[in-house]
Amino acid sequence: MSKKIITPVASLAHILPEDYRALVEKGPHGKSVGIKDLGSFKEITEEHPHCAGCGVSLGVRLALAALPAPEDTLVVGTPGCSFFALSQTAVNYSNTAFGNQNSVASGLKRMLSIRYPDKDKDVVVMAGDGGIADIGLDMTLHSWFRGEKISTIMLDNEVYGNTGGQESGMSPEGQVLHMAPKGKNFKKIPVFEMARTAGCVYGAKVTIASPKRLGMAVNRAILLARELGPTYVQIYTPCPTNMKFSPADTLRIAKEAGKAHYAFEEFMTEEAALRIAAMEGGLEKEPE
Amino acid sequence: MYLSVRVDTEKCIGCKICITSCPEPNVFIFLPEQKLVEVNESRCKACGLCTTVCAKEALKIG
Ligand code: SF4
Ligand code: SF4
Ligand code: SF4
Repeated sequence: MSKKIITPVASLAHILPEDYRALVEKGPHGKSVGIKDLGSFKEITEEHPHCAGCGVSLGVRLALAALPAPEDTLVVGTPGCSFFALSQTAVNYSNTAFGNQNSVASGLKRMLSIRYPDKDKDVVVMAGDGGIADIGLDMTLHSWFRGEKISTIMLDNEVYGNTGGQESGMSPEGQVLHMAPKGKNFKKIPVFEMARTAGCVYGAKVTIASPKRLGMAVNRAILLARELGPTYVQIYTPCPTNMKFSPADTLRIAKEAGKAHYAFEEFMTEEAALRIAAMEGGLEKEPE
Repeated sequence: MYLSVRVDTEKCIGCKICITSCPEPNVFIFLPEQKLVEVNESRCKACGLCTTVCAKEALKIG
């Protein structure tokens, strides 16, 4: 969505809702603002129906704030809690049949490269663990095998949140859930490791408790996908409603996971490392 | 009355940590001149996450 498209004609501006006007006047379009500037610009996402304290909505909010060019970004999602906020976001957005997101994103990216050969159009998949690791795993992997220049962001709450707390392939082993009354009896699917093997040029694993790192990872993933190939970011976004902890504990749970099975990790090809060094002026010290 | 977080302007130092802890968009507004944050109370869901990260104990749900 370019700024030009959302800018209303002057004579109609006064009848538009305040939020819309704020987006035109103080939105992030065409500016280089990011997570560190939150609170100083109008965010592209708006009031959404996620539960109070939802880790997924915080993940979506931070990832959207880290988009390098929201006006030239197309987000592709799939059913699940992740899309509650995305459908309230002022960015070109496409929902898909459950699990189809990486196929749809591949097609859209190719179409945009033909239509706008001289412009970078970022196609970003933002979907939950159910969409990416279970129902859409084959299509996700095949988009990586094919080397599609798209970024895939998983909002991993380790559960089917939207349908009431069923076991997901990304739930940790032993976790008691609906459909796993004695505890899940196999391991969390290693999508992060699979991304490297399947051809992603960059991958990162991060939690919502490290917003700066999250921003860095999303930024790197999108910029590298423009030129080199598929990239993957896996964000831990715990769900208070189904994991039955207090909404005020979401960040504590995320921090604890960051010290255990969700420690920050990155992988990148040699070419990606060189590109990052060129973009960021040398591999900087990682932010906290 | 709906619950919302309230900012104690005496205690807030404008460190902005709370802003990236909130799952709701456009709730916190940073006031650079006063070095304070302001809250859009009608948008807050009173989850309490921001109160857990503020080292100055400037945020309270009420
Ligand atoms: S069910 Fe869980 S993941 Fe879904 S909106 Fe509620 S807290 Fe978020
Ligand atoms: S974390 Fe506390 S001190 Fe820092 S800006 Fe927020 S309210 Fe103010
Ligand atoms: S209580 Fe929750 S919704 Fe309200 S401002 Fe704090 S983090 Fe945001």
